[in-house]
Amino acid sequence: MTDMTSQATPSPDEKLDSASARRARIMGGVLIALALLVLFGLNVTPGEVATFRLTTPRDAIQVGNLVVPGGPFNMIAAALLAFLGVRQFLRGGAKWTNLSLGIGLAILVMAFLVWATAGKSFSLTGMLQATMVRAVPIALGGLAGVLSERVAVVNIAIEGMLLAGAFTGALIGSLLGGWVGMFAAILVGGGFGMLLAALVVTYRMDQIIAGVVINLFVLGVTSYVSSQVFSEYRHLNNAPTFRAFKIPLLGDIPVIGPMLFNQNLFVYGALILVAISTYYLFHTKNGLRARAVGEHPRAADTLGVDVYRTRYIHVTLGGMVAGFGGAWFTLGSVGRFDENMTNGRGYIGLAAMIFGRWHPVGALSAALIFGFADSIQQKLALLNTPIPSEFLAMAPYIATIIVVAGLIGRSKPPAANGTPYTKE
Amino acid sequence: MTFLNKITARTGLAAALLAGTVMTASAFTACQVTDTGGIDDAGFNQTAWKGVQDAMEASDIEGRFLESQAETDYEANLNSLIEGNCDIIVTVGFLMGDATKAAAEANPEQKFSIVDFAYDPTIPNVLGQVYATDQGAFLAGYLAAGMSQTGVVGTFGGINIPPVTAFMDGFYYGVQYYNEQKGTDVMVLGWNPESSEGLFTGNFDSLDDGRAFAENLHQEGADIVMPVAGPVGLGSAQLADEMGTDSLKIIGVDADQTQTDPEKAHVYLTSVLKRMDSTVTQVIDMAMNDTFEGGLIVGTLENEGVGLAPYGAFEDSIPEELKAEIEAVKAGIIDGSIQVGM
Repeated sequence: MTDMTSQATPSPDEKLDSASARRARIMGGVLIALALLVLFGLNVTPGEVATFRLTTPRDAIQVGNLVVPGGPFNMIAAALLAFLGVRQFLRGGAKWTNLSLGIGLAILVMAFLVWATAGKSFSLTGMLQATMVRAVPIALGGLAGVLSERVAVVNIAIEGMLLAGAFTGALIGSLLGGWVGMFAAILVGGGFGMLLAALVVTYRMDQIIAGVVINLFVLGVTSYVSSQVFSEYRHLNNAPTFRAFKIPLLGDIPVIGPMLFNQNLFVYGALILVAISTYYLFHTKNGLRARAVGEHPRAADTLGVDVYRTRYIHVTLGGMVAGFGGAWFTLGSVGRFDENMTNGRGYIGLAAMIFGRWHPVGALSAALIFGFADSIQQKLALLNTPIPSEFLAMAPYIATIIVVAGLIGRSKPPAANGTPYTKE
Repeated sequence: MTFLNKITARTGLAAALLAGTVMTASAFTACQVTDTGGIDDAGFNQTAWKGVQDAMEASDIEGRFLESQAETDYEANLNSLIEGNCDIIVTVGFLMGDATKAAAEANPEQKFSIVDFAYDPTIPNVLGQVYATDQGAFLAGYLAAGMSQTGVVGTFGGINIPPVTAFMDGFYYGVQYYNEQKGTDVMVLGWNPESSEGLFTGNFDSLDDGRAFAENLHQEGADIVMPVAGPVGLGSAQLADEMGTDSLKIIGVDADQTQTDPEKAHVYLTSVLKRMDSTVTQVIDMAMNDTFEGGLIVGTLENEGVGLAPYGAFEDSIPEELKAEIEAVKAGIIDGSIQVGM
């Protein structure tokens, strides 16, 4: 009897197999199309070379420029893409789908860069360094989101917390110095985290609305003070900035050194915070409890975890991370506050969190992809490519969408995300 | 309508008396809607607002402003001012062109003036204020070309719209003119007038964009950068401050930025002035003296609506010869012997 039914309808496993095989074949087709695009769309004038500068004259260790002959390189790139595509299409190896697509996209980006740079040059190291810098506020915003959404509190207020951090950093930094400014920004960010927690945990307010209210409140207050007070008392808005400091030896490594080991406090801070929160959330008892509160608060409650307290603590921690990220805008970058200077980076951080599957490392990776696309478009705008600047400005967003749709697929939020918990 | 007319006709005398007393009692009110970037942006909006402030000091009038936080605020801000008894409403910014047009057509009795926009055909109750900023920027380009050590200068804009790109055009052609005269080969990064493409931040808010974009230009060799993006350029000034002005100098735009950004005054080689304050004051005067009519006023080098700011900290390091040449170029532009643009 059981044998017959299993023959008549495919088991869930088989269904899954055929779906992933189909996806593998579609990806194969996509890769072949990319190969054709590289071959015919990215024509390089024969003999032209693309020059990528790796070191500046000031660097301790000098390396020559990376000179790539445009035509042959893109020929090889197209061939590799075609090979990956055909292999994927014929064998449909589901296991390799993501890897092939990842490699394929990397090859495409390289071919595109070589095409755009043919006959010209730009500083590759500078671009990578900028990638890291531009990723910082987004990664910290994303990490703030991870901390609060892992305990099932949707945090739309990251944008407001970043802005509050930036404002506090500038104000307190101007009065009492950079370090105090930074700690004040962390405290204020944490304060808004606690406010959000109070609104949604204790008063069970709608989480989205509570977040939006905080964003509007912070935008209004900071804009008001900026236009009414800062314009009058200029010394309140003239904060010192944390300069980049080179880590000895490591900072001298060509290409990687400037990117990872010659940055300011905020860049190192972001990397360390991502590492700590990954360890905390996934390798400690308290981290497990926090995740349990996010997945099934009732069960966690039954086992003696204080759901309310856990939510308060993590949303506040998230706010502190966002406050630190906000301080980057003023103390880590431009030394002064200006209206709405975060300009939506908090929302992009939120997106980075979703793309990163609610994992700190994932959020950082998404932020880096965004930063990479962002700094690439800045270089491309200088190379006089025939692509309109409006399209270049879209590049960071398009890149993120492609990577997410292609590589990550469906990401699953914590099961209880967004729902208030009522203790019985 | 007719019903209302009857009422007014019947109570005409009383109304006229009342209106008379009210008019003498209440001062003239000038209202302003800013673009995004804020009233304290040390440049664009702030300069236009200074025009109203100057008028407030000169004659006893009232001034009010509403800030636009986003482009979606334009219409709402305009509507709330229309209900607020303004004698003239000044909108600041090219992007407000459509909103201002709609408001002016719906309220033909209300006087409007818009900075950075020219309507064709003209609207009878809107006076446009535009500026030949390319003339001022041409001088800045010439100066930058003469001062660059690396032979590369750069510029970037906020959004690819005419009031922004006029600066970049002038800058580009000023450098080309220098190259022509001196047989040099100074390169301009960030703007290509032929394709109308270049480097744009896409906003007038993110100061850290200003830092990142200036750093990008510096990595590619530029040692003088002209940001045309409102407050975003303040981020570039911070970078120049950290790097030292031997590595990077900034050219300000709109206002004399050594005045509006005094903490970083030492990084500004000069500023390309766009005297919105003077045209806004002029427009308010016209509205007060009933000489207001729709059309256009254009600020040029000749009427000092545009120009170069003093050289500030670089007064001594700019060779006298170069200063004299710039004066000659300025005279050439005014008498038409030098064409800005190609």
